[in-house]
Amino acid sequence: MNGITLRKTLGLVLAASLAIAAFGAAAQKKDIEVGLIAPMSGPWARQGQVMKVAADLAIDTINKQGGIKSLGGAKLKLSVFDAGDSVEKAKNAAQRMVADAPDLVGATGAYLSSFTLAVTEVTERAQLPVLTFSYSDLITSRGFKYVFQTSATGDQMAEASLPALMELAEKASGKRPKTVGVVMDNTAASVAFVKPIRSTQLERLGLKLVVDETFTPPLANATPLIQKVRSARPDILLLMPTAISDAKLLLEKMNEFGLGKGKLPTISNGAAILDPDLRSNMNVEQLEGVMSVVANWTTAAQKDMVEDFKKKTGEPWATQHFMTTYGDMFIFRAALEAAGKADRESVAQALRKMDLTNGPAAYFPGGRVKFDERGRREGATLLIVQWQNGVPLTVYPAKEALAAPAWPKQ
Amino acid sequence: MSPAGRKLPGPGFAILLFGIAYAVATAFVSNSYYQLIMTVVPVWAVMGLAWNLLSGYSGLVSFGHAAFFGLGAYFVALAQIHWGLTPWIGIPLAGVLGGIAGLVVGLPTFRLRGHYFALAMLAYPLALLYVFEWLGYQELTLPMQRETPILAMQFADHRVHAFIALGLMLSAMGLTSRLERARFGLSLVAIKQDEAAAEAAGIDTLRWKLKAIVLSGALAGVVGGFYAVVLLVVTPPAVFGMLVSAQALIVAMFGGVGTVWGPVIGAVVLVPLSEILHARLGNVIPGIQGVVYGIAIVAVILMAPEGVFWRVKDLLLRRGSKQTLTPDGPAAAKTPIADRPERADGKPVLQLRNVSKAFGGLKAVQDVSFEVANGEILGIIGPNGAGKTTLFNLLNGFIAPDQGEVRFEGRNIVGEKPYRICASGIGRTFQVVRPFRRMTVEQNVVVGAFVHSASDSEAQVIARAALVEVGLEAHARRLAGGLTNKELRLLELARALAGKPKLLLLDETLAGLGGGDVEEVIAVVRKLAAKGITIVIIEHTMPAMVRLVDRFIVLDHGAVLATGLPTEITRNPAVIDAYLGKRWRTEGA
Repeated sequence: MNGITLRKTLGLVLAASLAIAAFGAAAQKKDIEVGLIAPMSGPWARQGQVMKVAADLAIDTINKQGGIKSLGGAKLKLSVFDAGDSVEKAKNAAQRMVADAPDLVGATGAYLSSFTLAVTEVTERAQLPVLTFSYSDLITSRGFKYVFQTSATGDQMAEASLPALMELAEKASGKRPKTVGVVMDNTAASVAFVKPIRSTQLERLGLKLVVDETFTPPLANATPLIQKVRSARPDILLLMPTAISDAKLLLEKMNEFGLGKGKLPTISNGAAILDPDLRSNMNVEQLEGVMSVVANWTTAAQKDMVEDFKKKTGEPWATQHFMTTYGDMFIFRAALEAAGKADRESVAQALRKMDLTNGPAAYFPGGRVKFDERGRREGATLLIVQWQNGVPLTVYPAKEALAAPAWPKQ
Repeated sequence: MSPAGRKLPGPGFAILLFGIAYAVATAFVSNSYYQLIMTVVPVWAVMGLAWNLLSGYSGLVSFGHAAFFGLGAYFVALAQIHWGLTPWIGIPLAGVLGGIAGLVVGLPTFRLRGHYFALAMLAYPLALLYVFEWLGYQELTLPMQRETPILAMQFADHRVHAFIALGLMLSAMGLTSRLERARFGLSLVAIKQDEAAAEAAGIDTLRWKLKAIVLSGALAGVVGGFYAVVLLVVTPPAVFGMLVSAQALIVAMFGGVGTVWGPVIGAVVLVPLSEILHARLGNVIPGIQGVVYGIAIVAVILMAPEGVFWRVKDLLLRRGSKQTLTPDGPAAAKTPIADRPERADGKPVLQLRNVSKAFGGLKAVQDVSFEVANGEILGIIGPNGAGKTTLFNLLNGFIAPDQGEVRFEGRNIVGEKPYRICASGIGRTFQVVRPFRRMTVEQNVVVGAFVHSASDSEAQVIARAALVEVGLEAHARRLAGGLTNKELRLLELARALAGKPKLLLLDETLAGLGGGDVEEVIAVVRKLAAKGITIVIIEHTMPAMVRLVDRFIVLDHGAVLATGLPTEITRNPAVIDAYLGKRWRTEGA
């Protein structure tokens, strides 16, 4: 009896060790799985698709350049999870991601900040590192260890915008603006953006608020708003619609009143006023000169890569979610190279230690990839983009700019 | 409740079996994603049950249950964030909040009916959505509790969530099942089928509807609060959005409205289906999952318009099959028709003084005054449009007179609600019969009996007696929708009788009946009169009326034309001219 048991045991041990050896060998060659969790269906599907194209392009480039060298040239592989159109679906997708893809070393997503909040509740518990360009401050205020925010947060952007605009205006026109007007809708993004400006910055920068109007979208008639702007004649106008239809109405009315094409320097917040849809729905000339503050855009460093993207997708230009998702893949490459191990904990540790000013840093305004203890990217700055000849081009800061800002000389 | 039901395992047993099966299945799921699905299924089942409790039984479709759900979710989230309140206490409190919200919403909104009610309900979550955005609660996250995860319901093993959700679902099912068979359910179903008839049968419709929306709101609040703990992130669109209200409606409609099992079937089928489609197809052909899901729902609705539950039930046992009372029911004691007691006292039970009602320019009832003596059978005749039915509607409170007073047993009842008037002792039937068609004969009568019975079993006894009284006891188990005209007339009589009326208003009870049937119904009416019930009857069948009534009142153009004994009235030239004669002339033409 004993003998048989012993023989059996030996056999088992042998079989097991063989299996482990075989598995180990397979693991060496196995692709390294990276996740993208974003809306692939529903109203935000278009943006999700652009993110997927970005990740595919980046991974293709990385693999062509020889994969992860510290892991024997292992290739990256993208797994896509559809965050759908609701917080619930995003959370379910995240749960599916951590349950069905145990080999993931990291992920990027999930477009809307409310989706990202729900997704990271799941990934934090599964200790899966997640990169995100969602800018809500809440994402990195929860004491989480596995979420890394590559964009400037909402508060940071609001703080930095006005001084940057002043600098830009002064450089371009040779004189500092003295008066400012605000026309905004009452959505969360606009309200959050204007709050620090109203409370502290106007005073600090010596600016006088001469017209201050808030409307509830959708706008039916822009005439009363723009009339007030014309009679107050501010030096610069902060114009913050979040719906594309409102942006169209306001800009057309400004042109009608002779305030368009940069005659009244106009600055917005976010990508709504830079959307390709706007160009196809209104006279392109009326967009000329309009600026907006964004977390990422095409900069001088990535001109070639973006040309490639435009050719492959037919998109007129690369927006911030394309740029960031593309860069995220290179952050993962750098983390994997540094870790030398294809597991999520090692990648997370590498991300926490990372401090790069080259490689992936080229894709992120500020030019540095280093995360603070909350997971916010240090030195994350903003870009100012301006419509010039029917295309929104980065005009600030100077070292990342594709064109010089066109500021009307008065 | 029924004798047959005692032999079969009750609905509670089926719920228990289902619960055990679900719990066992949950225990064996190790994949955290499927554990989440096992949690979400009961969440939407409870939401469907909450919707069903109001809309399924009462027929008042709510597009706004997200209001209660969202309030519950925000309450639990905010209470945890600001006061550190554990969801173990927060969730029951969310239920209280949901119930209060139900009352606040119900009081003004129940003034509306049908589509108007549905649309008004739609407004509440939409308004709340903007209110919460305005308050700055665009995104809330429940803080991660690393030290006390169990106190915060943040379990490492998601199966615990699934078990809690299952517990909530079984409680909701048990509650619904109890209520469905009790006065609550029958009253609501009666409201759904004919609100006016229910009110006339003594049901305080507003009170029952309020009870329903309070309970429904409480359930939705509880499940919304629990959902916040599962989702961990609360945003206005996620909890107040159209999708939330729609999901409650869809699972209930799909599975079957007005039953415990409907919303559960809907959630058990649709939630995993949608998730699996999303998981398997979402990355391949984005959006196709929505198309497939939509087609599946459309297909089921085409094949089972009332929901899966009713379709299956129809296939298993033919609903409305002819069933009679089981032998152990009360013996059908045929009481011999007693002689009518001498209406000795002659005291007036009902007194009308100068009652008038106009609809715009049309004076339907003008300055009508008369008295009805205790124990009398009074016939009201008159040409079509003379205001006879309007007079009845004034008497039982459906409409209020513009002027004049109506005294019942000396008390002015003008302005009282129909159910109050019914409770004080005035029963009525309708010119066009208004049975609750989807209820059995017995249930129809039980609804009428609630007004004077303290318990459901007492109502049962009264209803049986009333059925025996009119001779319908053999048809107790049939659906009212399948009865003949005569049986329907008798059913209405029994329903009115179950309210123990002192005065019965019979509106053309003999209309459309054949010769033999007329005799049968008249015999029943006589029997009721013999028991001392005062009767006022509107009728056109003159030969039958002449034999039945003690006295006539003739109405023409809303005014009293004549009153008197049958012999006097049939010879009165004014009456012949206005009513009898005219009628003969039209018959001759």
